[in-house]
Amino acid sequence: MEFLAFLVRRLLWSLLVLFGLSVIIFTIARVVPGDPARMALGPTASADQVLALQERLGLNLPLYEQYVRFISGLFQGDLGLSLLTQRAVSLDIAAAFPATLELVLVTILLAFAFGVPLGVVAAHWKDRWPDNLVRAIAIVSAVMPSFLIALLLQLLAGYVLKGFPTTGRLPMGLEFNADITGLLLIDGLLRGRLDVVAEAARHVIFPATALALATMGQIARITRASMIDVSRQDYMEASRAFGVPSFLRMFKYQLRPSFVPPLTILGLEFASLIGGAFVVELIFAWPGMAAYGLRAITQKDLNAIMAVVMVSGLFFVIVNLLIDILVGIVDPRIRIRGKRA
Amino acid sequence: MKAKFLTATAATALLAGAITTATGAVAQNIVTMNTVQIFGSIDPAKISDYTDYMAAVNLYDGLITVAPDGSLIPRLAESWTVSDDATEVVFTLRADATFADGSPVEAKDVVYTFERLLRLNQGPSNLFAGIVAPGAVEAIDDKTVKFTLSQTFSPFMATMPALMIVNADLVEANAGDDDAQSYLAQNVAGAGAYDLVTWDRGARMVIRRNTDYYGGFPENAIDEVRWVVTNDEATVRAMAASGELTMTSQYQSTETYDALAAMGRFRVESFATPTAFYMKLNNQTAPTDDVHIRRAIAYATDFDTIREVLFPGEPMNTVLPGSFSAFLNTDVVAPTYDLEKAAAEIALSAYAGQQIPITLSYVAGTQFEEDISLLMQANLESLGFVVTQQPEPWNRVTELAATVEGTPNLNQIFYGPTYPSPDSMFFPQYHSNGAGTWISMDWAASPEVDALIDAARATGDTEAQAALYRDVQQILADQQVTIPLLSQLQMHAIDQCLQGMEMVPMMSFEFDFRKFHWDC
Repeated sequence: MEFLAFLVRRLLWSLLVLFGLSVIIFTIARVVPGDPARMALGPTASADQVLALQERLGLNLPLYEQYVRFISGLFQGDLGLSLLTQRAVSLDIAAAFPATLELVLVTILLAFAFGVPLGVVAAHWKDRWPDNLVRAIAIVSAVMPSFLIALLLQLLAGYVLKGFPTTGRLPMGLEFNADITGLLLIDGLLRGRLDVVAEAARHVIFPATALALATMGQIARITRASMIDVSRQDYMEASRAFGVPSFLRMFKYQLRPSFVPPLTILGLEFASLIGGAFVVELIFAWPGMAAYGLRAITQKDLNAIMAVVMVSGLFFVIVNLLIDILVGIVDPRIRIRGKRA
Repeated sequence: MKAKFLTATAATALLAGAITTATGAVAQNIVTMNTVQIFGSIDPAKISDYTDYMAAVNLYDGLITVAPDGSLIPRLAESWTVSDDATEVVFTLRADATFADGSPVEAKDVVYTFERLLRLNQGPSNLFAGIVAPGAVEAIDDKTVKFTLSQTFSPFMATMPALMIVNADLVEANAGDDDAQSYLAQNVAGAGAYDLVTWDRGARMVIRRNTDYYGGFPENAIDEVRWVVTNDEATVRAMAASGELTMTSQYQSTETYDALAAMGRFRVESFATPTAFYMKLNNQTAPTDDVHIRRAIAYATDFDTIREVLFPGEPMNTVLPGSFSAFLNTDVVAPTYDLEKAAAEIALSAYAGQQIPITLSYVAGTQFEEDISLLMQANLESLGFVVTQQPEPWNRVTELAATVEGTPNLNQIFYGPTYPSPDSMFFPQYHSNGAGTWISMDWAASPEVDALIDAARATGDTEAQAALYRDVQQILADQQVTIPLLSQLQMHAIDQCLQGMEMVPMMSFEFDFRKFHWDC
């Protein structure tokens, strides 16, 4: 029950964070110079046309009224009209979000699938050559900017692995409407379109790898540190004394509590990748939220800017709540601490 | 174990087969081109920029279109007549013209298209607002439509290619509560040579040849056009290397053009355009409010270095690009680089003997503009100016241009005609009614120039128009309202097998892929 109260407190705090975020992004969007109506209508638009669009968008209203309109629209799921795409921002977000979500999910999967085993290997052979190798890989992958890795992978695809895709989510001759979840890998499976699944996997693997390396290195380092920390606990000493086999000790008693720190990092990474994948999305012409948001900023597409930030913020909050719950499941001590709190 | 192995093998075979089927079922002649901006809209009543028009000229047809030499040629209309006072134009539609759904193109479609354009008051409507009032377009019969102008407006016919006709029955049936804006944001209701196949706004658009197109196609026509949205040059090169790319957008660096040319599959072509690159001088704030200072700045401009080293282009002697040859004032002497004459002009100005503060603005992040600005700074400082560099993001430039006080002294601006008439170059830039936009950062404000432009608009006599526009050019040159730097060359790397690209003096009409063909 106390754990539930803890989550409710977190939820209320999250709502406050979202409110603060809405005020900040609304203010920034209005302060950034440039007339959005003029930019939307193009260079030859007349002053009358610009004025008419400003009125239609409510840009001539006092700032507080504009904010109230924005917030009330938000609660009704109305994110306004995009000046850049000339349609509802909610439709644009609905199209762009699944693309980014799919990219981020595969990224996280890759980071976790490679990061945790590397951390375990490094911890098991601490201060020996496998450990040194893993630490070197972790450092290099953490310091290499994702855009550089993306460019290298794209050059590899373009110049060496000829025929490997360099842009997009699917080949352009392949028509498929991902109308269930928006995720091509999932919808392709659900529709029995293995060709779509295979092509979507081929297209996502390089951008996801470019994004995953930094997170993978971080997870490997944290898993290693966590594993070493847990190995020094009394109960691990006791299990050694009782002659519990090394394999069982590592995977049953040592690995599970060691999951908590990388899991927490994963939550933060997950949310930040939603908004932070923009360079990789631009390089691979990936039609996601980050690329959409970046274009919105450069074109001063006010509603789109605010929507991207709010959706990213909402996602950040939700993922962190889920991670709190997951961590509580993986490590019961957290729940106990929650009760004491 | 054996069963698992068989299952895995079968699944792999199925996948391989599926991929082969998917990638094999494509059209014959495919053009893949990158574009640096997204397609914002394909609704012909809302299109506004270069990229929007690129799609629209393929998806929709107008009554008339523009030939590479700038002349107007039939499209949906087979003929037209203009009244003596140029206030009535009657178009006769082709008997065989059909929309993509097979229904005939009729006069009522033209009326509906025009009324909807005025109602929405966006996109190309500014070309017609105040010229043709609501209700002034009438269907005489199924194939005849009459436009009645509120006043004589000589560039009217030149603006007509921008009126792209929609299928009235189809659009009305899907009008909803927003005049079909939602419907035409996603769907095409035109009579163009191509149909929309897929459109992922953030990344790509695919259009496919309408084999029933009334206008026909050349031999080995382009079956499918695929646009990939990317302004990342590494991506463009990777796509070219992997064989995905057929043609680049015009905005690549010299290094990218060279890299693609070195691949052997591409040729790099330059096309002279009617787009001009200007140094716009704010004629109403100090010190550029003084004609001698403006002339001094013109003399301090190293034109050859700019055109030959910093940004390739053709020389201009007046504010009008050379492609409008029939209207060009060839008596005007092109400005030259001469620091001694510049110093002499300063001596004649009201600012002689003083340190002269001046602001040089350019679009932030644009390397060649920064280089030009630094070159200007070096020359101007040697003459006693105190220079402030003012790099601004583009959206800030548009805002600064709204007021005289906000507009910096010097501004580097590209501008090209939106319809094939010199009016498109003169009215928005130099008429007082066009002031307050980035196009008119000169703040010319000359009643004499206004009167000449108005007179040119009001006459249907081309020779008389040409004489008036020559006078305008002479005044603008005498007063050194603007410094014309160059007319832009448009460059593309194009697959050796792709032919048919010809420059057209109207925004993006050169990308009418019906005129292209595959030659390998």
